[in-house]
Amino acid sequence: MAIDLSMPILVVDDYNTMIRIIRNLLRQLGFDDVDDASDGSAALAKMRGKHYGLVISDWNMEPMTGYELLKEVRQDPGLNKTPFIMVTAESKTENVIAAKKAGVNNYIVKPFNAQTLKTKIEAVFAE
Amino acid sequence: MANTQHLDRLVSYLKETREQDVALTDVVALAEVTAQSLQTFFATLDTTFYRELRDIAVYIDDMKAEIGALQANELKESRIPAAGQELGAIVKATEVATNTIMECAEAVMAADASNPGAYKALVDRQMLLVFEACSFQDITGQRIAKVVDTLQHIEQRVGRFVEAMRAKDLSGFIDEQERDRAERKSKFMLNGPAAEGEGIAQAQVDQLFA
Repeated sequence: MAIDLSMPILVVDDYNTMIRIIRNLLRQLGFDDVDDASDGSAALAKMRGKHYGLVISDWNMEPMTGYELLKEVRQDPGLNKTPFIMVTAESKTENVIAAKKAGVNNYIVKPFNAQTLKTKIEAVFAE
Repeated sequence: MANTQHLDRLVSYLKETREQDVALTDVVALAEVTAQSLQTFFATLDTTFYRELRDIAVYIDDMKAEIGALQANELKESRIPAAGQELGAIVKATEVATNTIMECAEAVMAADASNPGAYKALVDRQMLLVFEACSFQDITGQRIAKVVDTLQHIEQRVGRFVEAMRAKDLSGFIDEQERDRAERKSKFMLNGPAAEGEGIAQAQVDQLFA
């Protein structure tokens, strides 16, 4: 399945530098429509106002974590089909399993490289 | 020994007077003998109490000396805030360096490569900035060494204090904020970055999604 490069992508991270890194990597992959949010609740508000083709979210944020955001998204009938990739430094097995149970589409452990991001995005849209 | 003597006196007195009516003077005499016996008892008691109180005073003196050696005020007012400032400076330095490097990368990526000479000059300029930005690592290393020194200072003093006081850890939280933080960490699995060699690698994550 070809990936729609014009789809809007929402990057959620409380660290501006990481947002900038992911934004640049996405631009290199051909995605130009990239928005960002600094925590789960800000992301949820944006998602309820605009349709995103993909969410790339950190886990550890305040006040709402990426894990809570994922669960909220999956419980919302209007958002629950949105592909969701977790990009996080949380690398315990319990985190990965919990995210998978909550319905995450893929999981990237920080630090990561452009190739990993590309592969995971491709894998999500190949499902 | 003194008690036995008094008791003997009491027995003798009673033996001598048992055939006679008890007069007021007898009662007073008996009371006198009893009071003398109790004085001996109280004297023993005083010595015991004194010894106990002296031991407690010595313990308190030792404890005050150990608390002094802990240098808690210096830690609270000077060393820990200084370490906090060093860490803040480290975060700031890495942020500034990262931004500089990213700006350079963005400038190179956005540059027009149609004129090779101009493009090379731009790339050279940006790479020089990258090299300069990387100098943060030396200063950061020195700042980290200072923080590590503070942590070792605290570790040594707290360790000595714990040993001297034979202190045992109590479970529970120091306040509601600490409890809330711990509960949030546990509830949302906020473990943070894993130490080197711990945590799972991307390849293992991928297996869980295969």
